[in-house]
Amino acid sequence: MKLLRRFAALALVLAAWEAAARSGLWSPLLFPPLGKIFRELAAFASTTEAWEQTLVTLERAFAGFAVAAIAGVLLGMLMGRSRVAAALLEPLFSGTYAVPKLALFPIFIFVFGIGSLSKVALVFLECLYPIVIITSQGAQHVNRALLWSAQNMGASRAQILRRVIVPATVPFIFAGLRVALPVAMIVVIITEMVSSADGLGYLVIYALSSLQTARMLAVVVVIAALGVALDALLLFARDRLVYWEKLETYYV
Amino acid sequence: MPRPPDRIRLLQAGALVALLLLWQGASWAGLPEYILDPLAIVRAMAAALASGELYRHVGASLARSVPGFLLGSALGVAAGLLAGTWRAADEVLTPAVFLTYPVPKIVILPIFMLWFGIGDLSKILIIALACAYPAFINAYYGARQAPRILVWSALNMGAGRWRVFSRIVVPSAAPLVFAALRVSLALSFIVMFAAEMINSRSGLGYLIRDAENSLRFDLMYVSLVSIAVLGYAGDRLLRYARGRVLAWQEAASA
Repeated sequence: MKLLRRFAALALVLAAWEAAARSGLWSPLLFPPLGKIFRELAAFASTTEAWEQTLVTLERAFAGFAVAAIAGVLLGMLMGRSRVAAALLEPLFSGTYAVPKLALFPIFIFVFGIGSLSKVALVFLECLYPIVIITSQGAQHVNRALLWSAQNMGASRAQILRRVIVPATVPFIFAGLRVALPVAMIVVIITEMVSSADGLGYLVIYALSSLQTARMLAVVVVIAALGVALDALLLFARDRLVYWEKLETYYV
Repeated sequence: MPRPPDRIRLLQAGALVALLLLWQGASWAGLPEYILDPLAIVRAMAAALASGELYRHVGASLARSVPGFLLGSALGVAAGLLAGTWRAADEVLTPAVFLTYPVPKIVILPIFMLWFGIGDLSKILIIALACAYPAFINAYYGARQAPRILVWSALNMGAGRWRVFSRIVVPSAAPLVFAALRVSLALSFIVMFAAEMINSRSGLGYLIRDAENSLRFDLMYVSLVSIAVLGYAGDRLLRYARGRVLAWQEAASA
Protein backbone atom coordinates (compact mmCIF):
# COMPACT_ATOMS: atom_id res chain seq x y z
CA MET A 1 0.00 0.00 0.00
CA LYS A 2 2.80 2.34 0.91
CA LEU A 3 4.60 1.42 -2.29
CA LEU A 4 1.40 2.13 -4.19
CA ARG A 5 1.24 5.64 -2.76
CA ARG A 6 4.90 6.28 -3.51
CA PHE A 7 4.37 5.76 -7.19
CA ALA A 8 0.86 7.23 -7.35
CA ALA A 9 1.94 10.52 -8.92
CA LEU A 10 4.22 8.79 -11.38
CA ALA A 11 1.48 6.33 -12.38
CA LEU A 12 -0.92 9.24 -12.82
CA VAL A 13 1.45 11.02 -15.19
CA LEU A 14 2.04 7.86 -17.20
CA ALA A 15 -1.71 7.19 -17.42
CA ALA A 16 -2.33 10.76 -18.57
CA TRP A 17 0.40 10.34 -21.15
CA GLU A 18 -1.09 7.13 -22.51
CA ALA A 19 -4.53 8.72 -22.61
CA ALA A 20 -3.13 11.69 -24.55
CA ALA A 21 -1.40 9.32 -26.95
CA ARG A 22 -4.54 7.27 -27.58
CA SER A 23 -6.98 10.16 -27.74
CA GLY A 24 -5.80 10.96 -31.25
CA LEU A 25 -5.93 14.69 -30.52
CA TRP A 26 -2.23 15.07 -31.01
CA SER A 27 0.13 13.63 -33.53
CA PRO A 28 2.02 10.55 -32.30
CA LEU A 29 5.10 12.66 -32.91
CA LEU A 30 4.13 14.75 -29.89
CA PHE A 31 2.82 11.95 -27.66
CA PRO A 32 4.17 8.58 -28.74
CA PRO A 33 2.35 5.79 -26.86
CA LEU A 34 4.21 4.24 -23.94
CA GLY A 35 4.44 0.87 -25.68
CA LYS A 36 6.32 2.44 -28.56
CA ILE A 37 8.75 4.22 -26.25
CA PHE A 38 9.32 0.96 -24.41
CA ARG A 39 10.00 -0.91 -27.66
CA GLU A 40 12.46 1.82 -28.68
CA LEU A 41 14.10 1.49 -25.30
CA ALA A 42 14.47 -2.26 -25.72
CA ALA A 43 15.78 -1.84 -29.25
CA PHE A 44 18.17 0.85 -28.05
CA ALA A 45 19.47 -1.24 -25.14
CA SER A 46 20.17 -4.21 -27.42
CA THR A 47 22.69 -2.29 -29.54
CA THR A 48 26.34 -2.14 -28.50
CA GLU A 49 26.37 1.47 -29.67
CA ALA A 50 23.94 2.40 -26.91
CA TRP A 51 26.26 1.01 -24.26
CA GLU A 52 29.26 2.75 -25.78
CA GLN A 53 27.46 6.09 -25.82
CA THR A 54 26.30 5.63 -22.25
CA LEU A 55 29.85 4.83 -21.24
CA VAL A 56 31.14 7.96 -22.98
CA THR A 57 28.69 10.12 -21.03
CA LEU A 58 29.39 8.38 -17.73
CA GLU A 59 33.15 8.63 -18.18
CA ARG A 60 32.94 12.37 -18.75
CA ALA A 61 30.69 12.88 -15.75
CA PHE A 62 32.85 10.70 -13.47
CA ALA A 63 36.15 12.22 -14.53
CA GLY A 64 35.00 15.77 -13.81
CA PHE A 65 33.18 14.76 -10.65
CA ALA A 66 36.12 12.79 -9.22
CA VAL A 67 38.63 15.60 -9.73
CA ALA A 68 36.14 18.10 -8.32
CA ALA A 69 35.56 15.86 -5.30
CA ILE A 70 39.27 15.65 -4.49
CA ALA A 71 40.03 19.31 -5.12
CA GLY A 72 36.77 20.46 -3.55
CA VAL A 73 37.26 18.55 -0.31
CA LEU A 74 40.85 19.80 0.04
CA LEU A 75 39.89 23.41 -0.71
CA GLY A 76 36.80 23.23 1.49
CA MET A 77 38.74 21.85 4.46
CA LEU A 78 41.40 24.49 3.97
CA MET A 79 38.80 27.25 3.84
CA GLY A 80 37.01 25.90 6.86
CA ARG A 81 40.13 25.66 9.03
CA SER A 82 42.33 28.55 7.87
CA ARG A 83 41.24 32.17 8.11
CA VAL A 84 43.68 33.35 5.46
CA ALA A 85 42.50 30.72 2.98
CA ALA A 86 38.89 31.63 3.78
CA ALA A 87 39.60 35.35 3.27
CA LEU A 88 41.18 34.68 -0.13
CA LEU A 89 38.87 31.97 -1.48
CA GLU A 90 35.48 32.73 0.05
CA PRO A 91 34.85 35.95 -1.95
CA LEU A 92 35.95 34.12 -5.09
CA PHE A 93 33.44 31.32 -4.62
CA SER A 94 30.51 33.33 -3.31
CA GLY A 95 31.04 36.11 -5.86
CA THR A 96 31.01 33.77 -8.84
CA TYR A 97 28.48 31.31 -7.40
CA ALA A 98 25.49 32.61 -9.35
CA VAL A 99 27.45 33.01 -12.57
CA PRO A 100 26.68 30.20 -15.02
CA LYS A 101 30.04 28.56 -15.62
CA LEU A 102 28.49 27.16 -18.79
CA ALA A 103 29.30 30.51 -20.41
CA LEU A 104 32.96 29.49 -20.27
CA PHE A 105 32.28 26.44 -22.41
CA PRO A 106 32.98 28.08 -25.81
CA ILE A 107 36.30 29.31 -24.45
CA PHE A 108 37.03 25.86 -23.01
CA ILE A 109 36.44 24.41 -26.46
CA PHE A 110 39.23 26.59 -27.82
CA VAL A 111 41.53 25.85 -24.91
CA PHE A 112 40.88 22.11 -24.40
CA GLY A 113 39.60 21.12 -27.81
CA ILE A 114 36.20 19.91 -28.96
CA GLY A 115 36.57 16.42 -27.46
CA SER A 116 35.97 15.17 -23.93
CA LEU A 117 38.45 17.40 -22.12
CA SER A 118 36.48 20.65 -22.49
CA LYS A 119 33.38 18.89 -21.13
CA VAL A 120 35.25 17.29 -18.24
CA ALA A 121 36.75 20.68 -17.36
CA LEU A 122 33.30 22.26 -17.22
CA VAL A 123 31.90 19.40 -15.11
CA PHE A 124 34.82 19.87 -12.74
CA LEU A 125 34.19 23.60 -12.41
CA GLU A 126 30.43 23.29 -11.83
CA CYS A 127 30.82 20.45 -9.32
CA LEU A 128 33.56 22.24 -7.43
CA TYR A 129 31.24 24.93 -6.04
CA PRO A 130 28.76 22.88 -4.01
CA ILE A 131 31.51 20.57 -2.72
CA VAL A 132 33.78 23.42 -1.60
CA ILE A 133 30.98 25.47 -0.05
CA ILE A 134 29.32 22.66 1.89
CA THR A 135 32.63 21.08 2.98
CA SER A 136 33.93 24.40 4.29
CA GLN A 137 30.71 24.93 6.25
CA GLY A 138 31.19 21.54 7.84
CA ALA A 139 34.86 22.08 8.62
CA GLN A 140 34.08 25.48 10.10
CA HIS A 141 31.47 24.24 12.51
CA VAL A 142 33.34 21.45 14.21
CA ASN A 143 32.21 21.25 17.82
CA ARG A 144 34.63 23.44 19.75
CA ALA A 145 34.37 21.46 22.94
CA LEU A 146 35.72 18.43 21.09
CA LEU A 147 38.62 20.42 19.64
CA TRP A 148 39.50 21.85 23.05
CA SER A 149 39.35 18.55 24.85
CA ALA A 150 41.51 16.89 22.19
CA GLN A 151 44.05 19.70 22.59
CA ASN A 152 43.88 19.46 26.34
CA MET A 153 44.55 15.77 26.25
CA GLY A 154 47.69 16.46 24.24
CA ALA A 155 46.60 15.44 20.76
CA SER A 156 48.90 16.66 18.01
CA ARG A 157 47.57 18.77 15.14
CA ALA A 158 47.65 15.76 12.82
CA GLN A 159 45.74 13.68 15.35
CA ILE A 160 43.12 16.40 15.81
CA LEU A 161 42.69 16.63 12.05
CA ARG A 162 42.35 12.90 11.62
CA ARG A 163 40.30 12.08 14.70
CA VAL A 164 38.12 15.16 15.20
CA ILE A 165 37.92 17.43 12.17
CA VAL A 166 37.68 14.85 9.42
CA PRO A 167 34.98 12.70 11.09
CA ALA A 168 32.97 15.84 11.84
CA THR A 169 33.26 17.06 8.25
CA VAL A 170 32.63 13.83 6.35
CA PRO A 171 28.81 14.02 6.60
CA PHE A 172 29.01 17.48 5.03
CA ILE A 173 31.36 16.20 2.34
CA PHE A 174 28.76 13.64 1.37
CA ALA A 175 26.08 16.31 1.39
CA GLY A 176 28.21 18.31 -1.05
CA LEU A 177 28.85 15.27 -3.23
CA ARG A 178 25.15 14.54 -3.33
CA VAL A 179 24.39 18.04 -4.59
CA ALA A 180 27.26 17.87 -7.09
CA LEU A 181 26.49 14.47 -8.63
CA PRO A 182 23.30 15.50 -10.48
CA VAL A 183 25.11 18.69 -11.48
CA ALA A 184 27.79 16.54 -13.16
CA MET A 185 25.12 14.74 -15.17
CA ILE A 186 23.36 17.99 -16.08
CA VAL A 187 26.55 19.59 -17.33
CA VAL A 188 27.63 16.56 -19.37
CA ILE A 189 24.23 16.27 -21.01
CA ILE A 190 24.08 20.00 -21.77
CA THR A 191 27.56 20.12 -23.27
CA GLU A 192 26.80 17.03 -25.33
CA MET A 193 23.59 18.63 -26.54
CA VAL A 194 25.36 21.87 -27.42
CA SER A 195 28.45 20.53 -29.08
CA SER A 196 29.31 16.90 -29.51
CA ALA A 197 29.25 13.96 -31.86
CA ASP A 198 28.78 11.34 -29.17
CA GLY A 199 27.27 10.70 -25.76
CA LEU A 200 23.64 10.49 -24.65
CA GLY A 201 23.02 14.23 -24.88
CA TYR A 202 24.01 14.13 -28.52
CA LEU A 203 21.66 11.19 -29.13
CA VAL A 204 18.75 13.21 -27.71
CA ILE A 205 19.40 16.14 -30.03
CA TYR A 206 20.03 13.82 -32.98
CA ALA A 207 16.74 11.97 -32.44
CA LEU A 208 14.94 15.30 -32.04
CA SER A 209 16.27 16.76 -35.26
CA SER A 210 15.33 13.60 -37.15
CA LEU A 211 11.89 13.74 -35.46
CA GLN A 212 12.16 10.29 -33.89
CA THR A 213 10.28 11.29 -30.77
CA ALA A 214 9.92 7.78 -29.36
CA ARG A 215 13.66 7.18 -29.75
CA MET A 216 14.38 10.54 -28.13
CA LEU A 217 12.15 9.74 -25.16
CA ALA A 218 13.80 6.34 -24.81
CA VAL A 219 17.17 8.08 -24.43
CA VAL A 220 15.61 10.57 -22.00
CA VAL A 221 14.40 7.61 -19.91
CA VAL A 222 17.93 6.19 -19.92
CA ILE A 223 19.39 9.53 -18.76
CA ALA A 224 16.76 9.88 -16.06
CA ALA A 225 17.37 6.33 -14.84
CA LEU A 226 21.12 6.98 -14.72
CA GLY A 227 20.53 10.10 -12.64
CA VAL A 228 18.40 8.20 -10.14
CA ALA A 229 20.79 5.21 -10.05
CA LEU A 230 23.88 7.36 -9.42
CA ASP A 231 22.13 9.11 -6.54
CA ALA A 232 21.13 5.76 -5.05
CA LEU A 233 24.70 4.50 -5.43
CA LEU A 234 26.08 7.54 -3.62
CA LEU A 235 23.57 7.10 -0.80
CA PHE A 236 24.54 3.43 -0.52
CA ALA A 237 28.22 4.36 -0.26
CA ARG A 238 27.42 7.07 2.27
CA ASP A 239 25.42 4.77 4.52
CA ARG A 240 28.26 2.25 4.47
CA LEU A 241 31.02 4.76 5.16
CA VAL A 242 29.40 7.32 7.41
CA TYR A 243 27.59 5.45 10.12
CA TRP A 244 28.07 7.99 12.88
CA GLU A 245 26.00 10.85 11.61
CA LYS A 246 23.14 11.22 9.18
CA LEU A 247 22.77 14.59 7.54
CA GLU A 248 19.56 15.38 5.69
CA THR A 249 21.32 16.35 2.52
CA TYR A 250 18.58 17.50 0.24
CA TYR A 251 18.32 21.09 1.21
CA VAL A 252 21.13 23.39 0.38
CA MET B 1 28.18 38.63 9.21
CA PRO B 2 30.75 40.79 11.01
CA ARG B 3 32.87 42.99 8.77
CA PRO B 4 36.25 41.38 8.20
CA PRO B 5 39.17 43.27 9.75
CA ASP B 6 41.16 45.68 7.57
CA ARG B 7 44.11 43.31 7.35
CA ILE B 8 41.94 40.68 5.69
CA ARG B 9 40.39 43.21 3.30
CA LEU B 10 43.85 44.37 2.31
CA LEU B 11 44.84 40.78 1.63
CA GLN B 12 41.77 40.26 -0.55
CA ALA B 13 42.36 43.44 -2.56
CA GLY B 14 46.05 42.59 -2.95
CA ALA B 15 45.25 39.10 -4.26
CA LEU B 16 42.79 40.51 -6.78
CA VAL B 17 45.23 43.11 -8.09
CA ALA B 18 48.03 40.53 -8.28
CA LEU B 19 45.80 38.18 -10.26
CA LEU B 20 44.83 40.88 -12.76
CA LEU B 21 48.46 42.02 -13.17
CA LEU B 22 49.59 38.43 -13.70
CA TRP B 23 46.90 37.91 -16.33
CA GLN B 24 47.73 41.17 -18.11
CA GLY B 25 51.45 40.40 -17.92
CA ALA B 26 50.91 36.91 -19.33
CA SER B 27 49.07 38.36 -22.30
CA TRP B 28 51.95 40.76 -23.06
CA ALA B 29 54.27 37.79 -22.87
CA GLY B 30 52.03 36.10 -25.42
CA LEU B 31 48.73 34.27 -24.94
CA PRO B 32 46.70 32.49 -27.63
CA GLU B 33 44.27 34.84 -29.35
CA TYR B 34 41.20 33.22 -27.73
CA ILE B 35 42.34 34.34 -24.30
CA LEU B 36 41.75 38.05 -24.00
CA ASP B 37 43.54 40.11 -21.39
CA PRO B 38 41.61 42.25 -18.88
CA LEU B 39 42.19 45.51 -20.78
CA ALA B 40 40.95 44.01 -24.05
CA ILE B 41 37.86 42.66 -22.27
CA VAL B 42 37.13 46.12 -20.87
CA ARG B 43 37.52 47.62 -24.35
CA ALA B 44 35.26 45.00 -25.94
CA MET B 45 32.67 45.53 -23.20
CA ALA B 46 32.71 49.32 -23.70
CA ALA B 47 32.30 48.91 -27.46
CA ALA B 48 29.37 46.51 -27.00
CA LEU B 49 27.66 48.78 -24.48
CA ALA B 50 28.03 51.72 -26.87
CA SER B 51 26.64 49.88 -29.89
CA GLY B 52 23.33 48.90 -28.29
CA GLU B 53 23.23 45.44 -29.85
CA LEU B 54 24.00 43.94 -26.46
CA TYR B 55 20.84 45.33 -24.86
CA ARG B 56 18.66 43.33 -27.24
CA HIS B 57 20.33 40.08 -26.21
CA VAL B 58 20.29 40.93 -22.51
CA GLY B 59 16.59 41.80 -22.79
CA ALA B 60 15.81 38.56 -24.62
CA SER B 61 17.66 36.51 -22.01
CA LEU B 62 15.98 38.24 -19.07
CA ALA B 63 12.57 37.87 -20.74
CA ARG B 64 13.12 34.11 -20.49
CA SER B 65 14.95 33.66 -17.21
CA VAL B 66 12.94 36.03 -14.99
CA PRO B 67 9.44 34.65 -15.77
CA GLY B 68 10.82 31.10 -15.60
CA PHE B 69 12.44 31.75 -12.24
CA LEU B 70 9.37 33.46 -10.78
CA LEU B 71 6.93 30.85 -12.06
CA GLY B 72 9.04 27.87 -11.04
CA SER B 73 9.97 29.16 -7.59
CA ALA B 74 6.40 30.25 -6.80
CA LEU B 75 4.93 26.88 -7.80
CA GLY B 76 7.75 25.01 -6.06
CA VAL B 77 7.39 26.92 -2.81
CA ALA B 78 3.59 26.63 -2.85
CA ALA B 79 3.69 22.89 -3.51
CA GLY B 80 6.46 22.39 -0.96
CA LEU B 81 4.58 24.22 1.79
CA LEU B 82 1.46 22.25 0.91
CA ALA B 83 3.29 18.93 1.07
CA GLY B 84 4.98 19.98 4.30
CA THR B 85 1.68 20.67 6.04
CA TRP B 86 -0.89 18.39 4.45
CA ARG B 87 -0.38 14.65 4.62
CA ALA B 88 -2.31 13.72 1.46
CA ALA B 89 -0.22 16.12 -0.64
CA ASP B 90 2.91 14.84 1.08
CA GLU B 91 2.19 11.24 0.15
CA VAL B 92 1.48 12.00 -3.49
CA LEU B 93 3.92 14.81 -4.29
CA THR B 94 7.02 14.20 -2.21
CA PRO B 95 8.02 10.74 -3.51
CA ALA B 96 7.54 11.91 -7.10
CA VAL B 97 9.71 14.98 -6.52
CA PHE B 98 12.47 13.06 -4.77
CA LEU B 99 12.44 10.32 -7.37
CA THR B 100 12.83 12.75 -10.28
CA TYR B 101 15.16 15.14 -8.45
CA PRO B 102 18.44 13.64 -9.79
CA VAL B 103 17.13 13.68 -13.38
CA PRO B 104 18.86 16.37 -15.44
CA LYS B 105 15.88 18.59 -16.24
CA ILE B 106 17.45 19.90 -19.45
CA VAL B 107 16.64 16.61 -21.23
CA ILE B 108 12.98 17.63 -21.08
CA LEU B 109 13.74 20.68 -23.25
CA PRO B 110 13.44 18.78 -26.57
CA ILE B 111 10.01 17.47 -25.50
CA PHE B 112 8.90 20.97 -24.52
CA MET B 113 10.19 22.22 -27.87
CA LEU B 114 7.94 19.71 -29.63
CA TRP B 115 4.92 20.59 -27.50
CA PHE B 116 5.23 24.33 -27.10
CA GLY B 117 7.30 25.30 -30.13
CA ILE B 118 10.84 26.52 -30.32
CA GLY B 119 9.96 30.02 -29.08
CA ASP B 120 10.23 31.53 -25.62
CA LEU B 121 7.46 29.46 -24.01
CA SER B 122 9.36 26.17 -24.05
CA LYS B 123 12.43 27.89 -22.60
CA ILE B 124 10.47 29.63 -19.85
CA LEU B 125 8.80 26.36 -18.89
CA ILE B 126 12.05 24.38 -18.75
CA ILE B 127 13.60 27.11 -16.56
CA ALA B 128 10.51 27.00 -14.33
CA LEU B 129 10.75 23.21 -14.06
CA ALA B 130 14.41 23.35 -13.05
CA CYS B 131 13.75 26.12 -10.47
CA ALA B 132 10.76 24.35 -8.95
CA TYR B 133 12.77 21.45 -7.53
CA PRO B 134 15.06 23.22 -5.03
CA ALA B 135 12.16 25.51 -4.09
CA PHE B 136 9.89 22.55 -3.38
CA ILE B 137 12.45 20.62 -1.37
CA ASN B 138 13.51 23.51 0.85
CA ALA B 139 9.97 24.76 1.40
CA TYR B 140 8.96 21.21 2.31
CA TYR B 141 11.72 20.78 4.90
CA GLY B 142 11.22 24.34 6.11
CA ALA B 143 7.53 23.75 6.74
CA ARG B 144 8.22 20.45 8.50
CA GLN B 145 10.77 22.15 10.75
CA ALA B 146 8.15 24.53 12.12
CA PRO B 147 8.51 24.17 15.91
CA ARG B 148 5.76 21.84 17.05
CA ILE B 149 5.43 23.57 20.37
CA LEU B 150 4.53 26.84 18.64
CA VAL B 151 1.97 25.12 16.44
CA TRP B 152 0.38 23.44 19.44
CA SER B 153 0.29 26.59 21.52
CA ALA B 154 -1.25 28.55 18.66
CA LEU B 155 -3.90 25.89 18.16
CA ASN B 156 -4.53 25.82 21.89
CA MET B 157 -5.01 29.55 21.94
CA GLY B 158 -7.65 29.20 19.27
CA ALA B 159 -5.76 30.10 16.11
CA GLY B 160 -7.29 28.75 12.91
CA ARG B 161 -5.41 26.53 10.46
CA TRP B 162 -4.79 29.43 8.11
CA ARG B 163 -3.42 31.56 10.93
CA VAL B 164 -1.05 28.80 12.03
CA PHE B 165 0.08 28.41 8.45
CA SER B 166 0.71 32.10 7.77
CA ARG B 167 2.10 33.05 11.19
CA ILE B 168 4.16 30.00 12.11
CA VAL B 169 4.76 27.65 9.18
CA VAL B 170 5.65 30.29 6.58
CA PRO B 171 8.02 32.29 8.80
CA SER B 172 9.86 29.16 9.93
CA ALA B 173 10.23 28.00 6.34
CA ALA B 174 11.39 31.42 5.11
CA PRO B 175 15.16 31.07 5.72
CA LEU B 176 15.36 27.75 3.87
CA VAL B 177 13.14 29.12 1.11
CA PHE B 178 15.56 31.98 0.55
CA ALA B 179 18.47 29.54 0.45
CA ALA B 180 16.56 27.64 -2.23
CA LEU B 181 15.81 30.79 -4.20
CA ARG B 182 19.52 31.45 -4.40
CA VAL B 183 20.09 27.98 -5.88
CA SER B 184 17.10 28.38 -8.20
CA LEU B 185 18.37 31.73 -9.44
CA ALA B 186 21.75 30.24 -10.35
CA LEU B 187 19.94 27.32 -12.00
CA SER B 188 17.66 29.63 -13.97
CA PHE B 189 20.67 31.32 -15.54
CA ILE B 190 22.35 28.00 -16.36
CA VAL B 191 19.23 26.56 -17.97
CA MET B 192 18.49 29.81 -19.80
CA PHE B 193 22.02 29.88 -21.19
CA ALA B 194 21.89 26.20 -22.15
CA ALA B 195 18.51 26.56 -23.87
CA GLU B 196 19.75 29.57 -25.81
CA MET B 197 22.91 27.77 -26.86
CA ILE B 198 20.93 24.77 -28.04
CA ASN B 199 18.28 26.62 -30.00
CA SER B 200 17.69 30.34 -30.22
CA ARG B 201 18.07 33.40 -32.41
CA SER B 202 18.61 35.89 -29.60
CA GLY B 203 19.89 36.13 -26.06
CA LEU B 204 23.31 35.87 -24.46
CA GLY B 205 23.59 32.12 -25.08
CA TYR B 206 22.95 32.71 -28.77
CA LEU B 207 25.41 35.59 -28.81
CA ILE B 208 28.22 33.42 -27.44
CA ARG B 209 27.55 30.61 -29.93
CA ASP B 210 27.37 33.07 -32.80
CA ALA B 211 30.62 34.69 -31.69
CA GLU B 212 32.22 31.26 -31.38
CA ASN B 213 31.21 30.30 -34.92
CA SER B 214 32.43 33.55 -36.42
CA LEU B 215 35.57 33.59 -34.24
CA ARG B 216 34.64 36.94 -32.71
CA PHE B 217 36.49 36.37 -29.46
CA ASP B 218 35.68 39.86 -28.22
CA LEU B 219 31.94 39.11 -28.43
CA MET B 220 32.43 35.80 -26.62
CA TYR B 221 33.89 37.66 -23.68
CA VAL B 222 31.19 40.33 -23.88
CA SER B 223 28.55 37.62 -23.50
CA LEU B 224 30.52 35.98 -20.70
CA VAL B 225 30.95 39.22 -18.76
CA SER B 226 27.29 40.16 -19.27
CA ILE B 227 25.97 36.87 -17.94
CA ALA B 228 28.42 37.06 -15.04
CA VAL B 229 27.22 40.55 -14.16
CA LEU B 230 23.56 39.50 -14.42
CA GLY B 231 24.13 36.44 -12.24
CA TYR B 232 26.02 38.44 -9.65
CA ALA B 233 23.46 41.27 -9.64
CA GLY B 234 20.58 38.84 -9.29
CA ASP B 235 22.29 37.14 -6.38
CA ARG B 236 22.92 40.47 -4.65
CA LEU B 237 19.31 41.54 -5.19
CA LEU B 238 18.12 38.31 -3.63
CA ARG B 239 20.40 38.76 -0.64
CA TYR B 240 19.11 42.30 -0.22
CA ALA B 241 15.50 41.07 -0.33
CA ARG B 242 16.39 38.35 2.17
CA GLY B 243 17.86 40.94 4.52
CA ARG B 244 14.67 42.97 4.35
CA VAL B 245 12.26 40.07 4.76
CA LEU B 246 14.23 38.14 7.35
CA ALA B 247 15.45 41.09 9.40
CA TRP B 248 13.97 39.43 12.52
CA GLN B 249 16.20 36.39 12.33
CA GLU B 250 19.35 37.89 10.84
CA ALA B 251 21.04 37.85 14.22
CA ALA B 252 20.33 34.17 14.72
CA SER B 253 21.70 32.78 11.46
CA ALA B 254 24.03 35.49 10.13
